[in-house]
Amino acid sequence: MTALPVADRVTTRRSSRDLLRGERRAVVVVLLLQAAAAAAGLAAPRLLGAIVDDVLQGATVARIDRLALAIAVCTLVQGVLLRYGYLAGYRLGERAIARLREWFVRRTLDLPTAVVERAGTGDLANRSSVDVATVGTMVRDVVPIMLISSAQLLLLFGAVFLIHPMLGLVALAGLPSILAVTRWYLRRASPAYLAEGAASADLTESLTTTAEGARTVEALRLGDERITSGTDRVARQWATRRRTLGLRSVFYPVVEGSYGLPVAAVLLAGGVLARDGSVSIGDVVAAALLLQQAIEPLDRMLQFIEQAQRGVASYARVLGVGFGVPEQRGVAPVPGDERIVVRDARFAYTAGHDVLHGIDLDLRPGERLAIVGPSGAGKSTLARLLAGTEAPDTGSVTLGGVPVADIEPARRRQLIALVTQEHHVFIGTLRDNLSFAAPDATDGEMLSALVAVGADWYAALPDGLDTRLGEGARQLGPADAQQLALARIVLADPHTLILDEATAALDPTTARRTERSLAAVLGGRTVIAIAHRLNTARDADRVAVLADGRITELGTHDELVDAGGPYAALWRSWHG
Amino acid sequence: MPPQIPHADPGVPDTRGPFRYIWWLTRSQPWRILRGALFGTVWMVGLALRPYLVSRAVDDGLRAHDRAALLFWVGTIVASGLAMAWVGIMRHRTMTFVREDATARSAEVVLRHLARAGATLPRRLDAGEVATVSGRDIGYVSHVLTFMGPGIGAVIAYAVVAVVLWRIEPVLALLVLVGVPSVVAVIAPLLRRLEAVETDYRRRQGALTARATDIVAGLRVLAGVGGRSLFADRYDRQSAKLRTEGYRVAAVNSWIEGLAIAIPAVFLALVVWSAARLAVQGQITVGEMVGVYGYVAMLTTPCWMLLGSTYDVIRGRVAARRIVALLRVEPEDHAPAGESVTAPAGPADLHDPDSGLTVPAGRLVAVAADDPGTAAALADRLARFATSDVTWGGVPLGAVPLAEVRRRILVADHDAYLFAGPLRTTLSPAGGAVEPGVHAAAAEDVVDALPDGLDTDVDTQGRTLSGGQRQRVRLARAVLADAEVLILVDPTSAVDAHTEARIAERLRAARAGRTTVLVATSPLLLGQADEVAFLRGGRVTATGDHHGLLARDSAYRALVARGADEDAEVAG
Repeated sequence: MTALPVADRVTTRRSSRDLLRGERRAVVVVLLLQAAAAAAGLAAPRLLGAIVDDVLQGATVARIDRLALAIAVCTLVQGVLLRYGYLAGYRLGERAIARLREWFVRRTLDLPTAVVERAGTGDLANRSSVDVATVGTMVRDVVPIMLISSAQLLLLFGAVFLIHPMLGLVALAGLPSILAVTRWYLRRASPAYLAEGAASADLTESLTTTAEGARTVEALRLGDERITSGTDRVARQWATRRRTLGLRSVFYPVVEGSYGLPVAAVLLAGGVLARDGSVSIGDVVAAALLLQQAIEPLDRMLQFIEQAQRGVASYARVLGVGFGVPEQRGVAPVPGDERIVVRDARFAYTAGHDVLHGIDLDLRPGERLAIVGPSGAGKSTLARLLAGTEAPDTGSVTLGGVPVADIEPARRRQLIALVTQEHHVFIGTLRDNLSFAAPDATDGEMLSALVAVGADWYAALPDGLDTRLGEGARQLGPADAQQLALARIVLADPHTLILDEATAALDPTTARRTERSLAAVLGGRTVIAIAHRLNTARDADRVAVLADGRITELGTHDELVDAGGPYAALWRSWHG
Repeated sequence: MPPQIPHADPGVPDTRGPFRYIWWLTRSQPWRILRGALFGTVWMVGLALRPYLVSRAVDDGLRAHDRAALLFWVGTIVASGLAMAWVGIMRHRTMTFVREDATARSAEVVLRHLARAGATLPRRLDAGEVATVSGRDIGYVSHVLTFMGPGIGAVIAYAVVAVVLWRIEPVLALLVLVGVPSVVAVIAPLLRRLEAVETDYRRRQGALTARATDIVAGLRVLAGVGGRSLFADRYDRQSAKLRTEGYRVAAVNSWIEGLAIAIPAVFLALVVWSAARLAVQGQITVGEMVGVYGYVAMLTTPCWMLLGSTYDVIRGRVAARRIVALLRVEPEDHAPAGESVTAPAGPADLHDPDSGLTVPAGRLVAVAADDPGTAAALADRLARFATSDVTWGGVPLGAVPLAEVRRRILVADHDAYLFAGPLRTTLSPAGGAVEPGVHAAAAEDVVDALPDGLDTDVDTQGRTLSGGQRQRVRLARAVLADAEVLILVDPTSAVDAHTEARIAERLRAARAGRTTVLVATSPLLLGQADEVAFLRGGRVTATGDHHGLLARDSAYRALVARGADEDAEVAG
């Protein structure tokens, strides 16, 4: 397994700028609106300070009424500005995240098959679900909150500075402890919360699988073992939650204890300054109230700061797919004929551990070749070389004289199709599930393809080709799904078909049904079948026996049986 | 005090109703909940302290130009801030302990119940439901338990502020005490609407994420057949749709969020106005006026908490109902009414009257069935996963205590479940040498191919293994269970012929002298059986050894040379 890369800091930073490229105006609008809203929000404490001074100096009720009205007006203005500020921010975030997710899917689809095979789809699936969603939340919710809160804080503290620089300075009293504890917390929080999430998911998985596998639990009397293993996960979940609680037990009290400091400092300094008359009591009250008001945005920022950090980490993983080498866009000319020739092909997944040691093979157009051999002999690897998803390290695999792996991928798939035991029904209609194999196919052609593979379940579909399939809609059983895969092959109409144990993951009844469908697809094509059933081998034109990465026997079934080698021995024991 | 998790014994849940279940969780930790209520109350009342202290500092210190008084009140502000920080975290810790104790207890009783609920569970409860209970409902129910602390605290805090305000000015007190809850009551539905709109958006977002994941899952299929740009274009269109939907949500939400800030602020302006007029008329002091401003801000906390808790209780009740429903699912044992009988003391013949099959003790019997469904049903009857007239050493199998049947007779399905964990534990949950089983299933190469061999963690259902590897792991596990009677259903259907030949020999050796039933159609396996029973339409129509049956029964011959029937050619 070769893990997919993760973007480094510099790339991440540069890409964040790219994400906002062409959005400069929108960014400025958002910032201006939010700053204006925050400024309007300052009016209440400022005007209250004015009221305090007026009251102390014996103002009239009418003046108080005017000031109170001013507070109300400022408040309403703040509400409206906030609305448009939020709106512009949300729209900006919405655009940015849409661009990012579309880029991610395109990049993923462009990844060379070999890279995907080696990284495993688990990592990619995680990035496409968890990471893209985390970045989405960050861009859509966390970034606006951070922006707005920091704008509010800046203005609040700025306003205190304007009242009196000295007051502004002492107002920063709580800041050092908050900064220090936040730094401490951030260094530990993300892994701790991720571990907590993973532990919870583990426990859920344990309970769900215990329910799913209830028959096996009863048959093998695994009840106690399931309880032990589940209890173990309860304990692990508790351990991770104690860990995060421990972090909060430091973080929260330091932050909360610090909130009182600026108010206290301003009152104290205000007392001194008011003595020599450089500030009024109203000013001090206003400053104290402004600082009281700063608690809320600060609290919100601290609440989301851990999520923001996690968002950045996810963003780096999302960007990581951009570092995979995109699949080659066809350097080789279109092959002249359908002849596949393998010459001294060697292949290793890790250097020095050859899986295939010099394979030589000549395929005749239209013939059926069965490849048999024990597990681990390199059958699937040979299939990948023939299909062009991997290129040999040395030697060659050519189609019509052209290296198969160099043919433009989309074109290559029209010539050679690889069917494995893996099948997948995409979310979408039945038509969506067929048309990607042959974009120009008519409904009639799709129906005949389904008929050809014996997909009689088609008749039971409520909306025909428009029936929605896949996760969250109608689920197809494994045999039906494999028939769907075969119908795609019929539509794609390649001249060469490679079957890599296409029916091995199915139960015997289903396998039999599928094999019947398969027969309909094979006619008139060159077929290379990796087989674990000897009757498939017997029916083939030629049989190649693969052992330890070498072809040890090659010939017709009868020739090999007559030759009396290992194949013959196997055949006899199978045949009885 | 932190709870002891996992609990040595989670206890017996009260499943008579959702609130009874919640009460059971409460009764399990009464002192911790009381302590939580105490801290919650002190914290909430403490929130009222700072506005009071600030107002005293203004009145007694600033206005009076009394440095000592100012120092005293400022000192109190700092000290109360620190004290509140301590109370706050103690409250948070105690509440977390309450929730975690309840969460662990619920998970433990659900786990125990699922592990004992038996084979019919999946039919009566789908896995999605269990996932919902575990991932969400258990947490919701735990949240209800922390309602008490803040709930009581909120009421007391509200009362304290009421008294303080009343002593300042009764009219102002009425305005604040009625006004704050009203503002909360007005905004709450707005925010609920925001939540609804958001939920809808997140659902669509989830659907789009599912699409992306779906494309990733199907990458290999796309690699084989092509059509990638089609998928990218389709995804782009759906992504654009979500973006438009996001714009619509933003238009609504931005209003709600603007209002949620403006409405309380306007109310605050109203309070300030009334207080300022009173101050001008000399009815209250300036410090008191500043204090009132603080109380309004502070009172919103208990009001929100009460409202939120009500919502928690409603949600928790629904969640508890689902947990209770799950805990009420009872296992079936397929036992006829009446007395139970004693099982045969040692290995004994099994006889199934429905099919006419007899499995002699200590022999390897293969069953070749024309219809795999009838063979699976036969296996279910023999292992008592279905009601039947099967006899075991002459006594009715259904009347033998179920635990005894399970201990001695094992049916291993071809799709038996593989639980996640190290391969070694999967193969032999009880511990002990696994090599004999690995050998019998010819699974040495499966072990060798894993990075840490037997200690490698294997996914649920062996997702990372190939079909053939999975099947051999299942077979190895079944052999290692070392049951007196082992019934194997299609154990090698996904295995290549080379390996199957090896398995057939080794399995025979591993089970020598023990009763084994092998449901299969592969000649490699059938050839190793002491006796083969040919099952047609659910009845045994012929018995004998494999070669004998091949020679004299053409239907049997057609069945075992799989594929031959389609080619209209009989192997011979």
